[in-house]
Amino acid sequence: MKIATLFKTLFASLALMSLSLTAHAQMNIVTTTGMIADLTENIGGTAVKVTSLMGTGVDPHLYKATQGDLRKLMKADVILYNGLHLEGKMQDIFEKMARKKPVYAVANNISESKLITDHLHSDPHIWFDIKLWLVAGQNVLDILIKHDPKHQADFQANAEAYFQKLNELHEWTIQQIQTIPEQQRILITAHDAFGYFGQAYGLKVRGLQGISTAAEFGLQDIKQLKDVIVANQIKAVFVESSVSPRFIQSLVKGVAAEGHQLKIGGELFSDAMGLTNTAEGNYIGMVTHNVNTIVSALKGANTHE
Amino acid sequence: MEDFILLNPPSTWDLLIEFWQFNDMNALWVLMGSILLGTSASVIGSFAFLRRRSLIGDALAHAALPGVMMAFLLFQTRDPLIMFLGAVTSSFIGFFIIDWLPKNTKTKPDAALAITLSFFFALGLMLLSFIQGMEVENKSGLDKILFGQAAAMTQEDINLLMVVTVFILITVMLFFQKFRLIAFNSSYAQSLGIAVNRYELLLALLIVMSVVVGLQLVGVVLMAAVLLTPVAAARFWSDKLTSILILAGILGAISAIISTQISYLAPAMPTGPWMVVSLASLFFLSLLFAPNKGLINRYLQQNQLRQKVAEENILRTLYKLWERTEFQKNDFNMGDIQSLRTMPTHHLQSSLKKLCRRKLLTSSSRGFRLTDSGLEQATLLTRRHRLWENYLNEHLELTPDQVHSQAERIEHILTAEQEKQLEEELKNSQQDPHGNVIPGVNNATQTGAKR
Amino acid sequence: MSNATRPAPIKVQNLNMRYHHKPVLTDVSFEIPEGKTIAIVGPNGAGKSTLLKGIMGLEPLIEGEVSFFGEPLSQKRLSTAYVPQREEIDWDFPISVMDVVLMGRHGQLKLWQRPGKIDHEIAEQALKDLQMWDFRDRQISQLSGGQQQRVFLARALAQQAQLYLMDEPFAGVDVATEKAIIELFKNLKAQGKTIVCVHHDLNTVGEYFDWIIFINARLVAAGPVEEVLTKENLQKAYGGRLSLLNDLTEEVYRTRLNQAHDSD
Repeated sequence: MKIATLFKTLFASLALMSLSLTAHAQMNIVTTTGMIADLTENIGGTAVKVTSLMGTGVDPHLYKATQGDLRKLMKADVILYNGLHLEGKMQDIFEKMARKKPVYAVANNISESKLITDHLHSDPHIWFDIKLWLVAGQNVLDILIKHDPKHQADFQANAEAYFQKLNELHEWTIQQIQTIPEQQRILITAHDAFGYFGQAYGLKVRGLQGISTAAEFGLQDIKQLKDVIVANQIKAVFVESSVSPRFIQSLVKGVAAEGHQLKIGGELFSDAMGLTNTAEGNYIGMVTHNVNTIVSALKGANTHE
Repeated sequence: MEDFILLNPPSTWDLLIEFWQFNDMNALWVLMGSILLGTSASVIGSFAFLRRRSLIGDALAHAALPGVMMAFLLFQTRDPLIMFLGAVTSSFIGFFIIDWLPKNTKTKPDAALAITLSFFFALGLMLLSFIQGMEVENKSGLDKILFGQAAAMTQEDINLLMVVTVFILITVMLFFQKFRLIAFNSSYAQSLGIAVNRYELLLALLIVMSVVVGLQLVGVVLMAAVLLTPVAAARFWSDKLTSILILAGILGAISAIISTQISYLAPAMPTGPWMVVSLASLFFLSLLFAPNKGLINRYLQQNQLRQKVAEENILRTLYKLWERTEFQKNDFNMGDIQSLRTMPTHHLQSSLKKLCRRKLLTSSSRGFRLTDSGLEQATLLTRRHRLWENYLNEHLELTPDQVHSQAERIEHILTAEQEKQLEEELKNSQQDPHGNVIPGVNNATQTGAKR
Repeated sequence: MSNATRPAPIKVQNLNMRYHHKPVLTDVSFEIPEGKTIAIVGPNGAGKSTLLKGIMGLEPLIEGEVSFFGEPLSQKRLSTAYVPQREEIDWDFPISVMDVVLMGRHGQLKLWQRPGKIDHEIAEQALKDLQMWDFRDRQISQLSGGQQQRVFLARALAQQAQLYLMDEPFAGVDVATEKAIIELFKNLKAQGKTIVCVHHDLNTVGEYFDWIIFINARLVAAGPVEEVLTKENLQKAYGGRLSLLNDLTEEVYRTRLNQAHDSD
């Protein structure tokens, strides 16, 4: 009896110790967008605990951090954000946090030539060009290794596997887009989120609002878009999950009332992913969903309001 | 982010023509919607303005915010009717609180308004933030209610606006007299046995409805301006309440047209804020240019009066000078005039010129002299002045000096009727308190003949 | 000559009015005779205006009953006309003299009914009775104090009531207006109507009115001028002797002694 109890206690304490060891070893990473969180989880694996401030349907251009968010940031070991002014209303916070913690923009190290810039601002939606997202992934890998060198081997293994999947996704996307007849390869969305997507995969893109949803839009903007739609005989436009669908809906109704054919091709995930625990709740799922939606709508097979 | 630019972008002129041909449906919807809102909001806002509860519209707009959020939370839908009902409910609750607090506590009306406005607005913002953190679909764009998103109007929105506008306009027309009575003197209305509470409730309902349909166009923050600026501007143009209401409606419609036009002509110009800017401009134009009440016209009228006063004073002075020489010498120079009446030289010069142009004076190397018509005027003015001095002297027991300075002012505005009245009262006295002769009505011709 | 069988134009019983915890009027009871001019007189803050408003149902009574010709006010609205204080009005309101007087007809007009030809004639006569017909299209903002008062009186006159309640009609008016008001009183009395006024001027109260009601938070005296306008009553109303009684009454409210007492 005594030996049994001894063994049980030993076993229990060993288990506890190993648990606490792993718990202690988990890096606490806080990210802004869900996409960055997803990327980090896939590379970090069990060695990291990742939380994102902006969940499904949240618009990062307009998001203002709350007290709760600040607390999360304060407890983080590493903070990751997109950069290029995506999180337009959080710049001050990053600067403040950078004084006390490691804060990184994952869009760093992307060469100027690859960035889309108009006048003064760069387009921050880099995750839509999978190749650029791979650069971000590399950044994350380096950051993780830097802060947790013990798990370097794990990180590299995870990254290799994940990057492989991303490359496959890239190839698949190219191929899918090719199936759309060339004149139909035009993507109209609620705001200019898909610039890199268009550039990488051969689509012409245009949004109702500009690069940031913080900009106002008026009748002239709708009119210009309508002219483009009519001139190019575009059949479908797309709403985005993080932007009010009303704008695109009114555009569609206006075009229809003027006697042209136009439908809403579907909902795309632009600045935020889908609901957690759904297929679209992670980066690969999100991109897959987007590509499928775009392809079937522009090919004309599947249209709905 | 243009991957393709139109080869021939239309010029501003082309755009204008397209706009007014009503080919662009989105533009047409926004135009109709904002005209409807501009008209109905300004009419109902006028009553709030007249009752000096101008900011109630602002409070009710802010109070609608939590209602919209709660409707979304409870029903998980963006159905416009549900949002409308939610907004109306919380707006009404806000109205009751604003009404109840001053009547039952020591809180003053303006404090009650401020407290309710801030509280409801903060509650709405909290709920909005909470929703943003939720794992639900369909939640984007709820914040657009803060500043409106007019460009996204469609036929369904217009239908609702139409119903509300027609309801408001018909109700106001039907109950105009009662609304006006209650706005002017509500305790008197009560004393007549009129159910003031019921009418006030009806008015509140109309304001709430107008505010809530307006939210999608101009947003919570700017709604107050759409309610109040039109009537504030219209007030400068008329004193008749019916005219004021009609004009306010027209100004609301004009601002709608201007803002929609601007939004159509230039990119990234939202209609809502431009509507408020147009209204403010119309207000300033009214402030400056309205006849009678406008600043510019008042300034011009003041100037005219000053000019008239200066000229009449000069004529009287010339008469006096002539009288003092016992009607011998006729010509006087500026120095003579200035000895009796202090006036800056350049004013004197320009007034003398004007009097010459009006053929009331002639000028020669010897000086200035009254013409026949000038003499007639001068005699009349002197007569009035001295009659009035007599009147004041007899009835008010003022000293001759006091009497003189008063008469200096009154003589310019006495009418012929009043002059006759004075004569009757004074029983045709001949001399003023200083001992000067009061020239008779026929004096002018008599003394004229003497010359 | 009063009709002995007709109930009094106003009968007030045990009226109590309060503002927050302060007693404004306590235990006021009186009855007024028909066909006379009656003045409500007292020092500032004595509750005179409040009494009038309480009688008219414009402010709530804590206790008490008011009857008009034996019936509650709701039955006798058409017989009662109220003239509020001039200072309560926004004189910048965009409205003409004629439209103000026409308001008096609204006691008879339901919902969206507009004044008709007869209403206009009644209003015209009322304006003429007060020598304001020439001003009928003028904006009220352009009138002098006395003229404004006359417009208000014309409005009440247009109601063609039996009983007129006026709050300080003589305050701040010119000599011509004062004369016009007295003339009006004479005419109304000749028609057997009753007039109750809150009046501020002790010098003229004996001259203009038949009856006086002295109020200083309580009823001091009520009756014909000859009987009631005495040095003793003046002292009681204006002398400040009642302040002790007032303080105690306030204390009673504060400590809810009244309620405690009732539940014995």
